[in-house]
Amino acid sequence: MATTETKETMKYKRRSASQWAVAWRRFRRNRAGLAGLVIVVFVFFVGAFGGFFAPYPARPDPNAYAPFYRSESKSPPSWKYMFGTSTGGTDVLSDVIHGTKYTLYVGILVTLITIAVAVVVGSIAGFYGGWVDNILMRTTEVFLVFPSLLFILVFVRVFTLTIGDPFWTIPLIGLRIPSGLTIVTLVLGAFNWASNARMVRGEFFRVRELEFVEAEKALGASNMRIIFKHILPNILSSLIVVTSLTIAYAILVEAAVSFLGFGDVNTVTWGQILQENWSETRNVWWAEVFPGLAILITVFGFNLLGDGLSDALNPRLRD
Amino acid sequence: MIPVALGISIITFITMYAAGDPISIIRLGKGNITPDTLEALRVYYGLDKPVPVQYINWIANVLQFNFGRSLRGGQPVNLIIGNWFWETVKLQLVSIVIALGISIPVGIMSARKQYSKQDVIVTSFSLFGVSMPTFWLGIILIIVFSFNLGWLPSGGSAGDPKLWWNNPVLDSIAHLIMPVTVLVYVQLAQNIRLIRANMLEILRSDYILAARASGISERKIVYKYALRNAIGPVITFLGISLGTIIAGAPMTEYVFSWPGLGRRFVQATTDLDFPVVMAITMIITVMALVANLIVDISYVYLDPRISIEKGK
Repeated sequence: MATTETKETMKYKRRSASQWAVAWRRFRRNRAGLAGLVIVVFVFFVGAFGGFFAPYPARPDPNAYAPFYRSESKSPPSWKYMFGTSTGGTDVLSDVIHGTKYTLYVGILVTLITIAVAVVVGSIAGFYGGWVDNILMRTTEVFLVFPSLLFILVFVRVFTLTIGDPFWTIPLIGLRIPSGLTIVTLVLGAFNWASNARMVRGEFFRVRELEFVEAEKALGASNMRIIFKHILPNILSSLIVVTSLTIAYAILVEAAVSFLGFGDVNTVTWGQILQENWSETRNVWWAEVFPGLAILITVFGFNLLGDGLSDALNPRLRD
Repeated sequence: MIPVALGISIITFITMYAAGDPISIIRLGKGNITPDTLEALRVYYGLDKPVPVQYINWIANVLQFNFGRSLRGGQPVNLIIGNWFWETVKLQLVSIVIALGISIPVGIMSARKQYSKQDVIVTSFSLFGVSMPTFWLGIILIIVFSFNLGWLPSGGSAGDPKLWWNNPVLDSIAHLIMPVTVLVYVQLAQNIRLIRANMLEILRSDYILAARASGISERKIVYKYALRNAIGPVITFLGISLGTIIAGAPMTEYVFSWPGLGRRFVQATTDLDFPVVMAITMIITVMALVANLIVDISYVYLDPRISIEKGK
């Protein structure tokens, strides 16, 4: 009796650990993926603790404009100002450090919205098929074919007209979030789910036909149980990959929106820094180069991580 | 196709309407307009009617290629837009052709020599490409080639006086070089990744093995048998992404002050100039849909398994 039990538990333990352990072992061997992981961890670190080691405080603290009061606006990179100073007289390095948390805020929130909508729409379409699928997929096509950047600009412009307060306070936890940036984020999320919904639907179609789902149906399981306990765990690995790539994409689009002058002027994101110094590029090239490099490296990190995860989690899809 | 275009037009119309009464928005900051003048303006722009009526009027006018009048200055939108449209088409066509011309051979080379040095360079380059903000590449090019070296103009589509020996063609080429480079770079990254992935899959398939076994030259196998199948998804992708390519152009056009639809769109959205925004949205939508149609038709020639009579 006792021996069979230990055997059972051992078997169970080994099985439960294996899928992720195998993926991790595969991921560890992928140097590009690891480099991506290092970059991503570093960016999160700067986002979380940047306030402690940035040379100057974040705006609107008047001390952020210290270089301006010393009449050292537009000074080129030096030991004193590693990334130079901006047209407005702020330290570009500090601006970039303080911008990190906003970048991550946008990236993560957009991804959460994207994944949530994509999973709901994709699951319903993929599980039920038929006319439900038809309607949802036609809607998805509209979102896919249409150049979303145009819609995003119009929506952001229209919605930011309505805000008064630069910060919203979330009722229960008392967290203050930048309102303009949140609007940008919500709009980005609303226009980004389509291709992922298609991916989820495709996976549903694939998994739905597998024998174990049929077996579960024969046992009389409810639709909800099949969707949540059997199909979704099977597409989890694809979703993890999408998460990393979506964060990368969201960061790029937010930078673009801010650069075009549609961003939140109260939050200094990387795109916002680029926008503020754009008309003076000829004199302050450093204020364009360094924030852009920050975007490039961060997005590259998330993309590398995404590719690495894709190789590790879906070895079948490897080129 | 038509329902999609209608759907998009309705969504845009409602969004713009949700922004509020355009006349009062324009009025912000200009206190000295009398209520009578406001009312007259509303009637002039047809804003006194209910929204559905406004929409139907608008659609009816659009079908006759009349996009109304700009809220800023009151010029007919058609007059403003014509020139901008051709400038955008010029920029896009040149860059799409160049991007395809480069990415097909490079993607094939990369797939044939998988994991070789060239392949690693190409794949990391294209991952780098998709990670780079389009507009930032433009900014860097301007800083280097316009501000520092002074070789190329930093913006516009034509110079006055004309650059490069006063020749209108050379002048236009000089202005095209940097924006086209940016647009090509963006597309290259995606195209190469796609072609490489497809080629890899196809080169491993049985029919290619059979072709190799019957002693057909490698060149013929790759360019005649494999490429034809590998190019299909690229064309589909091009069709889907054409909207995005055109919409990605606002970034490029804005950076290089290119007098095209994209930059005009950014300007009009900032100004809340609704008729212009609606007009550009519709033109870009229709262009994207037509591109999709062309792609679907070209598929029939590329892939004999698909025929028009049988449907898909």
